[in-house]
Amino acid sequence: MRFTTLDGLRRWLDKLAEEVDLVAPTDVDGHVLYRPVQSADAILFDYERPELSAKDFLFPATEVLLRIEQKGKDVAIEEVLPDRKQVLFGIRPCDAHGLAVIDALFLEQDPPDRYYRHHRERTVLVGMACLQMWEGCFCTSMGGGPMDTTHLDVLIRPSEGGYFLQPVTPKGVAILEGLPVEEPKGEPPSVKEYNEPVPVVPPEKWRPLFNDRIWMRHGERCLSCRICTYVCPTCRCFDVTDRVVDVQPGLTRIERIRVWDACTSPNYRRVAGGHNPRPTKPDRLRNRFYCKFCYYPEDFGPLGCVGCGRCIVACPVDVDITEVMQDVAKQT
Amino acid sequence: MSPDTNPMRPYLGRLAGVKDLATGIKLFQIELLEDEGKAAFADYKPGQFAFVSAFGAGEAPFGITSTPARTPYLEFAVNALGHVTFTLHALDEGDPVGVRGPLGNGFPMDRIKGHNVIILGGGIGGAPLRPVIQTILDHREEYGHLTILWAARSPDLLVFREEFDEWRTAWATDFHVTVDRGDETWTGRVGLITQLLEEISPSPENAIAITCGPPIMIHFVFLTLKKLGFAPEQMLTTLEARMHCGIGKCGRCNLGEKFICTDGPVFWQYEIAEFLEGFL
Repeated sequence: MRFTTLDGLRRWLDKLAEEVDLVAPTDVDGHVLYRPVQSADAILFDYERPELSAKDFLFPATEVLLRIEQKGKDVAIEEVLPDRKQVLFGIRPCDAHGLAVIDALFLEQDPPDRYYRHHRERTVLVGMACLQMWEGCFCTSMGGGPMDTTHLDVLIRPSEGGYFLQPVTPKGVAILEGLPVEEPKGEPPSVKEYNEPVPVVPPEKWRPLFNDRIWMRHGERCLSCRICTYVCPTCRCFDVTDRVVDVQPGLTRIERIRVWDACTSPNYRRVAGGHNPRPTKPDRLRNRFYCKFCYYPEDFGPLGCVGCGRCIVACPVDVDITEVMQDVAKQT
Repeated sequence: MSPDTNPMRPYLGRLAGVKDLATGIKLFQIELLEDEGKAAFADYKPGQFAFVSAFGAGEAPFGITSTPARTPYLEFAVNALGHVTFTLHALDEGDPVGVRGPLGNGFPMDRIKGHNVIILGGGIGGAPLRPVIQTILDHREEYGHLTILWAARSPDLLVFREEFDEWRTAWATDFHVTVDRGDETWTGRVGLITQLLEEISPSPENAIAITCGPPIMIHFVFLTLKKLGFAPEQMLTTLEARMHCGIGKCGRCNLGEKFICTDGPVFWQYEIAEFLEGFL
């Protein structure tokens, strides 16, 4: 355990920002969001749960996979894997947990996702403990916690006189080498109050509820707006398409990109001939919840939800994942 | 695939031929240009699929409709329905394309060997069945009797009509064709493939039935086969989805906890019966 003051932390971050791409919580017009920063000046040190997860920095919402250059009938394809190192500073433990969930599919299932793996290998996760649970948070029910170190390289706990920094991995030890260390003042804090736990039902108990009316009740008011998948730290579906970036006589430059996709989108499962096996909103909302609590754990191991609560806060029609979990628990 | 191969990078190819197959449907013959691509597709199996790139529009998955024994080209039957397929339809011979694959499990030809085979193709759903037909005809002594039921909504949507004569005259092979609605040129049979199937009523003994077509057709073909005494382990189909990766990552083709791309696209009826979520 290392201790430093806010000033020490800022000096360390300023130096990091010169060496790597530094991403940290910032204030964007009143919204707390992770953003690339040039120095510690732009960083928030006392902040709520950021409105979006950190997945964008390892699995970007739009990512160029290939550059394709077509000259007449000749085509050249170049793989795009930028060789940048990044530190994600101040991410919440649930965001690191979300990345671990994505790891189970993108790293651990063959073949690994080449792009995600590339970014993941070049990323250090420096987490900031939560001193409280926020609106909708239920991480403690999903195997995490406000001070969970499990999926981080470093966990920082803010206290009265400064910050306690706990390296968790060798990467974490290495990144803390330049930190100005001081004598600890006081004790690391603890969380005083936890949100009510939410019941987690194992995958096999979800199966008999596939045709239950729960899905109608929760799904009919869904707007198919897809904000839940956008804010989710574990939703990882994607679409792949081309965009033409430059056209000159005899020369076309194309980028093959992948972009986030969402199973709550009406056309998600529509096939080329027009048939849609998931034609209604309840069908699609059910798929999202089954992916998280039944399919993903069965196929890849971890539950597909970390209890960050973002989808609860973001949903314009108050679809609440914890209400769904409670309804499922009642039925089993 | 070597560890350093990027599975999202298409192999470069050239359109060696484009033929009209049916209304709105063209057959694309692709010559692979790179050694890696030729090696990857040296021994692809009936029922496997691949992504075809129309550069500038994107890529889409298609069942491979050729066999490596019959042609050095990769053949795909493509219906113009979306951005990628309309862009493909606008290409000419000699134009560059990309191909990613081969992907998916393919038909279990080793298990099909020694059986009488009933093929039921509906519309462009016949495309992934053509390699099965060709493989059986090319290794005729390894399989039992072959019955082909070929259907489409209308005569102009029947695919591979040029090959009907070969199929009709092949040894130990019966070929039947039907359309839902005829037209002024059509003198053949009119009616649903399921009616034709009931009429022919092939024996389930030592037989395997393989079907592909619109989801509703697959559903009713399975029901009819069941009525004729076919067991779930005697019925095969191949499913489709608008996939984006083909390697189990993008999520787009999930049927419950299964992925059509990596668990399929070929499934036995007993597997489908156990799916939590149906394909229909």
